[in-house]
Amino acid sequence: MRVDELEYQKMIQRCLRCSICKWIPQVQIKSQKYATACPSIDIYNYHPYSGGGRIILALLLETGRIEPSEELREIVYKCTECGSCAVSCKFLNTLEPLEIIMKLREKLVELGCGPMPKQQEYIEAANKVNNPYNEPHEKRLAWLPKDIQLDPDAKVLYFVGCTSSYRRQEMAIAAAHILKAAGIPFNILQDEEFCCGSPILRTGDVKTFKKFLNKNLDVIESKGIDTVIFSCAGCYDTFKVDYPLYREYNFRVLHTVEFFDELLETGKLKLIKEIPITVTYHDPCHLGRNAERYDDWDGDIVDLMPLVSINIPPKPKRTGSNGIYEPPRNILKKIPGLKFVEMERIKEYAYCCGAGAGVKSAFPEFALQTAKIRIEEAEDTGADTLVSACPFCSTNLQDGIKESGANLKYYDISELLLMSLGLEPEKLKEITEEAG
Amino acid sequence: MVLEKEILKEFQGIVGSENVNDGEVITNTYSYNWCMEYVNYMEGKEPIPFSPIPKAVLLPSSTEEVQEVVKLCNKYRIQFKAQSTGLGPWNQPSTENSIILDLRRMDKIIKIDNKNLYAVVEPYVSGAQLQVEAMKYDLTVHMPGAGPQVSPLASATSMNGPGFTSPHTGHSARNVLGVEWILPDGEVLRLGSAGLKNNSDWYNGDGPGPSLRGIMRGWAGAKSGIGVFTKVAIKLFPYPCNTEFKLQGYSPNYNFDIPDFMRLYVMDCGSYKYLKKAMLRIEEEEISFMCSHLSGYGLTAIFSYSIESMMDKMAIASLKTPLVVLIAARTKHEFNYKQKVMEMLLDELKLHNIIGTKYTPNSIFYAEALRSNLGLHGFIVTGGFQSAKGQCDTVKTCLRTTKKSIPLKKKYIKKGVIGNDFGEGVWMTSYESGHYFHVESITLFDQTDEESVKGMGEFMEDNYQFDLVKHLGAPFFVEGDRMHNMFGPYMMNYHKWLRKIKKAFDPNEIADSGFYISAKSEN
Repeated sequence: MRVDELEYQKMIQRCLRCSICKWIPQVQIKSQKYATACPSIDIYNYHPYSGGGRIILALLLETGRIEPSEELREIVYKCTECGSCAVSCKFLNTLEPLEIIMKLREKLVELGCGPMPKQQEYIEAANKVNNPYNEPHEKRLAWLPKDIQLDPDAKVLYFVGCTSSYRRQEMAIAAAHILKAAGIPFNILQDEEFCCGSPILRTGDVKTFKKFLNKNLDVIESKGIDTVIFSCAGCYDTFKVDYPLYREYNFRVLHTVEFFDELLETGKLKLIKEIPITVTYHDPCHLGRNAERYDDWDGDIVDLMPLVSINIPPKPKRTGSNGIYEPPRNILKKIPGLKFVEMERIKEYAYCCGAGAGVKSAFPEFALQTAKIRIEEAEDTGADTLVSACPFCSTNLQDGIKESGANLKYYDISELLLMSLGLEPEKLKEITEEAG
Repeated sequence: MVLEKEILKEFQGIVGSENVNDGEVITNTYSYNWCMEYVNYMEGKEPIPFSPIPKAVLLPSSTEEVQEVVKLCNKYRIQFKAQSTGLGPWNQPSTENSIILDLRRMDKIIKIDNKNLYAVVEPYVSGAQLQVEAMKYDLTVHMPGAGPQVSPLASATSMNGPGFTSPHTGHSARNVLGVEWILPDGEVLRLGSAGLKNNSDWYNGDGPGPSLRGIMRGWAGAKSGIGVFTKVAIKLFPYPCNTEFKLQGYSPNYNFDIPDFMRLYVMDCGSYKYLKKAMLRIEEEEISFMCSHLSGYGLTAIFSYSIESMMDKMAIASLKTPLVVLIAARTKHEFNYKQKVMEMLLDELKLHNIIGTKYTPNSIFYAEALRSNLGLHGFIVTGGFQSAKGQCDTVKTCLRTTKKSIPLKKKYIKKGVIGNDFGEGVWMTSYESGHYFHVESITLFDQTDEESVKGMGEFMEDNYQFDLVKHLGAPFFVEGDRMHNMFGPYMMNYHKWLRKIKKAFDPNEIADSGFYISAKSEN
């Protein structure tokens, strides 16, 4: 369950202004350099750019101490909604900084003060052509290699997503080839696949988001699908975590890293080729800490004594601990010849790539600055290759590598898997370059 | 009050236009802080969590920039309030004529001198940041109960800073060596050996070179009321055990590989009288890393991660007068020695350790103890607490304070405005192996409930009066003119001297004195 209005009104009065939200969990700090958690406060410095600062903004708005304004909108939207503040806060506290930020955006949209103009543009594009990139809907499947056969009766559906369909096609191609290599019959929705709604939801435009949610679920449910797999962390998170808040469905959702890890475990995929590189892995926020479902809670709030109440049974708290952390690492560790090294900030306290929640389109400089911070952290591990499992992270981190002149290569994890299966990864890059 | 455009431009000229903001949203955000609501109520204002709104917020990046900003403040008679990590009402402006200097861009560790056991840091280095860098030299740093996320510079120069590791690491006020201090008129003053003309360095706070440590911070610090501290040298201490720090699992359910040579003791002393005897005796042996008394509720809280998880710890909640001792060692030999001493003391004092028999904490407790994160557990019950009291005194006085204050606290508990800890909710620690002690009365309230906020304010006020009448010493939140005027006459008129200091150092009253003392209202 998301935070309801009553909880929101209480929570926004409870920030301790302790600044815990600005740091990764205190016990996880390993160096001064990589102690911080939040790209927004790291770059913009003023307190309102932190998780706690945005809680104060919500309070100021509710109490009428500030009015909706461009200044307010810019601060509220200069946040990737990565949720790192929430992980740190909830180590001990019961506040929900990320939930408050999401709700604050919803309120700004209701007040006509959100989203940002660039975000509004992509929402309108999605309304028009079903993707935020304003690309022709009919070209959604242009990436599909000729040697990949779709099975209309398959129980497995690969939901490609807009970014992999139009921008990071190498990820879609790799995923399709891997499924083929494992002998998994699968289907793709083709012209019936629409934007998952994630970039719309993150701006606070819930009304438009619900439209896409219903369109996608209507189609998928009509096809008798058992399992939907995603190579896009954003689509995966949205289907897994956000859709059920508005509409239940009866199919299993998996990210490709989970699915491919299973295929490796069961021997359906065999890695034969050595990949002699040193790799570090970036946890996408949508696949990591935010990919944790909301659990229902139907308990009672029992007053123990004045001012002190407890939840019976205890109310589940989303702490980021149930993200998808091990499957990508399992895959990387199984690739022959590959050396895997970790960055300092990983898993539930990983540093964001900088692209999420509409930041890449509304504030490209902010996105790039954040990516450069993450690139430096990756370089400091001694790795020569950075890997992740999200097309948004892919674009932004590759932009960061280019901009910073870092001596790092970037691959999506499925590309490395493909290489190790003995297939030809270079083809993927060529295809992407042509398409791009 | 709006900053005139011409003045704004001048500030921009010093720190850069992106580092000055006088917008409604930014400035209003800086008017909020934890506990401001009951502080407002105590000052006869509306019980809301907002202070006056600063005219602007500035983000200086260097000593020189701070100096120039302060000089400009003098020129235009604008007051300034400096803050580091910004926790607590002390960071708030007290007038509408104040600007905030948010020092978060000054975040460098200047030096770690592992041979002479000190570090030099800027304002926005957090305790945790300094600690992890010090750990690379097998050293650690003292951190206050406010947690590892706060600024050691702020704690050492401008607050007080007792912490759970105080038996081993003292307290912030005692750990300050030299400082770089921008006086309220904009001059730079370096204290101790850092102030030497030739071969200056940071190794000593009291000389050779000028020593004004008492004036600079006194007992409780000036909370920016006497200038801005831009660098500080603070003591480092040997890390108590192996610095290897391995966590597994996910937040908050981490598993910690407890270092080989650590052992926790939780004992029930049964009475305050016996607690006194036990604490003094144990600390006499100089073996503890932590030596704290907490009430049953407090003890339960430091082992819990939510109020619900406190409920399954009744074995410890029912202890009458608990004493927590943590020993840690770097070698087996040292550990054996400390354990043997503890065994001898348990035998001598007829105390029983419940750890391992009645209760076994999660391993993460040990990680938090080493990283000074335990104080933050105080928030898990109502989300809000503040400490009445705050004595630094003998164990006898600290316990006398505790005992005598119980009926007063119970009175407010009965009213339902503060949390029920049976009146016993205190945290008491030894400083520097029992050299002296600290006690504060942890009091739970609900900042979203106006009656509770008002009740908390009234309780604090009554507490102060009670401390005076019963000669229980000065709490550490004696701040602002009203409080100093209240306590001064009972304490050798210290407030008159404090005013003279303020007047001498800040003739234009440019450093915001809302939580310090003003030169004006002499009595």
